[in-house]
Amino acid sequence: MRSLSILGLLLISLNSHAAPLSPPAQRGEAFFHQRFAVNDKMPACTACHTDNPLKPGQHAITGKTIQPLAVSANGERFSDPAKVEKWFGRNCKEVVGRACTADEKADFVAYMREVR
Amino acid sequence: MQKILVWDWPVRVGHWLMAGAFCLAWLTADSESYRLVHVFAGAVVLGVASFRLPWGFIGTRYARFVEFVRGPLSVRDYLAGLLRLDPAHHVGHNPAGGWAIVLLLGLGIVTALAGWATYNEIGGHLLEELHEGLATTMLLVVIVHLAGVFSGSLLHGENLVRAMFTGKKQGHADEAIASARPLALVALLLWLAAAGWLVAS
Ligand code: HEM
Ligand code: HEM
Repeated sequence: MRSLSILGLLLISLNSHAAPLSPPAQRGEAFFHQRFAVNDKMPACTACHTDNPLKPGQHAITGKTIQPLAVSANGERFSDPAKVEKWFGRNCKEVVGRACTADEKADFVAYMREVR
Repeated sequence: MQKILVWDWPVRVGHWLMAGAFCLAWLTADSESYRLVHVFAGAVVLGVASFRLPWGFIGTRYARFVEFVRGPLSVRDYLAGLLRLDPAHHVGHNPAGGWAIVLLLGLGIVTALAGWATYNEIGGHLLEELHEGLATTMLLVVIVHLAGVFSGSLLHGENLVRAMFTGKKQGHADEAIASARPLALVALLLWLAAAGWLVAS
């Protein structure tokens, strides 16, 4: 019985994760997890934002909490274009080592809007 | 006229710490890798400027605000002299420089406070923009300040930059300050350590 209910929970959780991501969002997901290793302290987006964009992150250098990037966890995300551009500008330069392309940014935003 | 001591230790060391920290804060401003360096540099600016305010009342003669904060007429006269390439010589700060100093100290304090609030996520987007705007304004005043220092130096034939290191300018022996106030320098350094610690915690 017990193992059955665990199986049930597992199925439910698998199901909720299985909300299919659109192809742009999948590319955005891959980009989010990619290790660029340009910057020792911040080799990837996940260095500060953790592997799970639904969770709060922690600044790799100052230790400050960073609110989740996923829109489903933080409704304010991607609502202010100037702020979005500012942070892409700063963090692409330091983490990716160059400016991000328009496609990369669009994919990233798609992932953050869809993931739940 | 001879070389006499006019700038005490807190004025000189405070000046160069503030100048260095301002440049460092500016250079590290838009980097997350250097965010902590930026925060500490900003704390040094805040520490020096907030020490300088009381020192402007209880410090040595030429460090006092009453000695160099002058009305608009004196500023106009000094600037007119500068334009005639014959500015009046002042043992302490000249009247135009005096206002640059007040502005730099004030901007140093409010810029750093706005930065500190942003760092601690108080005040939101507005303070973030304010921090950046104030920092830019301060950079402009620094540029005017440098232009004033170099034009003043050339026209007086007196190296004001060196004077900010040695503390010595041209004047009469009876116009000199009596002591360079080393103990007050220790107080300044302790205050900076406290400010750094406060900002870090
Ligand atoms: C390398 C750059 C700089 C040089 C060469 C320089 C040089 C000088 C000199 C020569 C004076 C004395 C002026 C006079 O005799 O009337 C002075 C005063 C002053 N400067 Fe600068 N300065 C520099 C950068 C800065 C910066 C970046 C700041 C502020 C962020 C600053 C703030 C001040 C203040 C507050 C005073 C008055 C000092 C006092 O009475 O305590 N300076 N500077
Ligand atoms: C007077 C000294 C300071 C100067 C000249 C200065 C200058 C600047 C400038 C120009 C920026 C904008 C960077 C950009 O977006 O391109 C900035 C950002 C920032 N500063 Fe300062 N700053 C100073 C002091 C401080 C202090 C004391 C702190 C914190 C304790 C601080 C924390 C920050 C933070 C957290 C940001 C990023 C804000 C954001 O998210 O956009 N700053 N600073």
